[in-house]
Amino acid sequence: MSIGHKSISDNGLRNPAGAYSIQCRDLMKSFGTGEMLTVAINQVSLEIKHGEIALMMGPSGSGKSTLLAMLSGLLHPDSGKVVALGQEIWKLPETELERFRLRHCSFIFQGYNLFASLTARQQLELVAEWGDGATKKEARKKTDEILCLLDLAKKGHLQPGELSGGEKQRVAIGRALIKCPDFCFADEPTSALDWAHGEQVIDLLRTAAHKRGCTVLIVAHDARIIPYVDKVFYLEDGKLQDSNPEGLTRVFGHQTGTGSKPEIPGHDAQTGTI
Amino acid sequence: MSYALTILWYDRQRYLPGVLAVSFSALLIALQCGLLLGLFSITSLPIDHTNADIWIGAPGVLSVDLGRPIREATLARLENQPEIERTEIYLQGFSYWSKSDGGTELCMVIGSRLDENALGKVNELTKDLYEKLEEPGAIVIDESDMERLSIKAIGDVAEVAGNRVRVVGMTKTLKSLAGPYVFCSVTTARPLLRVFPDQITYVLGKCKDPADAKTVVARLRENNNFSAFTSAEFSFRSRWHWLTKTKAGIALGYAAALGLLVGAVVTSQTLYSATMASLKEFAVLRAMGIPKWRMQLLVMTQSFWVGISGIVLAFPAVHGLAELADRLGVRVELPFWLLGGAATVTISMALFAGLLALRSLKSMEPAALLR
Ligand SMILES: Nc1ncnc2c1ncn2[C@@H]1O[C@H](COP(=O)(O)OP(=O)(O)O)[C@@H](O)[C@H]1O
Ligand SMILES: [Mg+2]
Repeated sequence: MSIGHKSISDNGLRNPAGAYSIQCRDLMKSFGTGEMLTVAINQVSLEIKHGEIALMMGPSGSGKSTLLAMLSGLLHPDSGKVVALGQEIWKLPETELERFRLRHCSFIFQGYNLFASLTARQQLELVAEWGDGATKKEARKKTDEILCLLDLAKKGHLQPGELSGGEKQRVAIGRALIKCPDFCFADEPTSALDWAHGEQVIDLLRTAAHKRGCTVLIVAHDARIIPYVDKVFYLEDGKLQDSNPEGLTRVFGHQTGTGSKPEIPGHDAQTGTI
Repeated sequence: MSYALTILWYDRQRYLPGVLAVSFSALLIALQCGLLLGLFSITSLPIDHTNADIWIGAPGVLSVDLGRPIREATLARLENQPEIERTEIYLQGFSYWSKSDGGTELCMVIGSRLDENALGKVNELTKDLYEKLEEPGAIVIDESDMERLSIKAIGDVAEVAGNRVRVVGMTKTLKSLAGPYVFCSVTTARPLLRVFPDQITYVLGKCKDPADAKTVVARLRENNNFSAFTSAEFSFRSRWHWLTKTKAGIALGYAAALGLLVGAVVTSQTLYSATMASLKEFAVLRAMGIPKWRMQLLVMTQSFWVGISGIVLAFPAVHGLAELADRLGVRVELPFWLLGGAATVTISMALFAGLLALRSLKSMEPAALLR
């Protein structure tokens, strides 16, 4: 992946050596008016580096999904800016933004959202054909590759109804990765899964970040994910908190000390960098 | 297999009402048209139940029963054509039948040659009947018209246009529409139709090879003193004339429009709800930047296949019902062009329903996936 970045870009954000693939500054979003006004996101600024996997945590209703939607070009912020790959995405016209998402962004959701009628293989091929305009043959080849990577080579002919939750989420990851995105946004991808399968999903996303240079942002509740990510953000009432592991431990009552940390080769967790 | 077809097949129960609605529309249109065609085929009966390949009549003749007199010498025109094997004169026209009790009735007089290979003699006239018709003033009517013409038995007499006629026999299956058919010889027919001795209504021709009829007709059309048709053309022209003239076409149009409307509404609702059920999946694709037209095309492709499936289902049903009607004594004609036309109209309806169903995609909101 090579994108021509300037150190001091014309979007007014400092991005030394173009290290950050996505940055946001002073994002604001509120819903409703008057009495009913909810400030969902309040003055949030953050940045994530290329090929980094980041985790966003916080209680329900704290604005995690809203922030993810604004970062990924799905929800227009009230104010503030988002700069992705050097482009200020909310300054782009609607069609340009759509093209940006087509080229660079993929999504994974808690509910899988797979077509009930299509096989695992077809879910992937459809994205390759409709998104990249790949021919049937190209789509087939790419799909084979991704299915292998996800350990789904033998399940390609099955429909979602015949797959377990973990397998379904892996198909959804495959659908997200087949276009080789620069960003992968995952909203609670593990919430419907037991930890064994959740771990598998996080591991795959971690590989996508570190081996494929994809910038991954995960929203999740489970503190067991923390050791797998490069960076953790903690959101509360729409505001970003100092997300140190101690704070998280306090909130989730989960010990993330070295004792319970799983062995991840070549992994040095770098958390709390705000 | 395309994604549209895969989804359609998997969710076939959901799409079934749409398929049935298309079937119903196709069935309604085909049967309605077929019934009317069958009804008006009575007018073209003299063409369809005889053996000529070519019909030559007065310029611009609209229907076989509306022929005007032409000169008998026209016969030579057809005789000259190298492809022609046999030619013959033929008379047909409306006349007045005076009943024995004093009333009058419109009737349709048909005067033709009567030998075994005659071109203008309807096939229902048996050897016994056509031999009796050689006698001057002898006529044959159909059993179904006996009451209308006040005829009680073979041998009864009546007057047609002031000429005495005698019923020498009857056919069984030649129902009439506007006026009862009266079959007779050319000689008997002339006074009944009040035409001069050198006047006839049509010249009939038979080709050595029936396939040549089109070529001969095309050549004859260069002459403006008469009009020439192949028997198939003239048969269709006659029926079409009555279909449009009687405004039966309008009644047909209303029924068809109603059928199409119901079909379109049901089909569009089916497609709409099926699309709504997959809206989240579509929204994921939209989030990933896949253009909307891909999904619109998918819905349109589905509507096309719903249309095709409906027609495939309708086809045997149409034939079954036509067969049933036939047993009940009502003729339903289903020529290929009619079935093709009904199919085209209903497929268009299904596509229109697809267009209506596209509004379901408007409510697709990728941001709503993130909650
Ligand atoms: N479309 C919306 N309309 C109104 N309020 C909304 C909408 N989306 C989110 N909110 C509100 O914004 C807040 C943050 O929501 P969300 O980002 O979904 O939280 P989280 O994902 O952290 O659970 C909540 O109070 C929620 O009720
Ligand atoms: Mg949420």
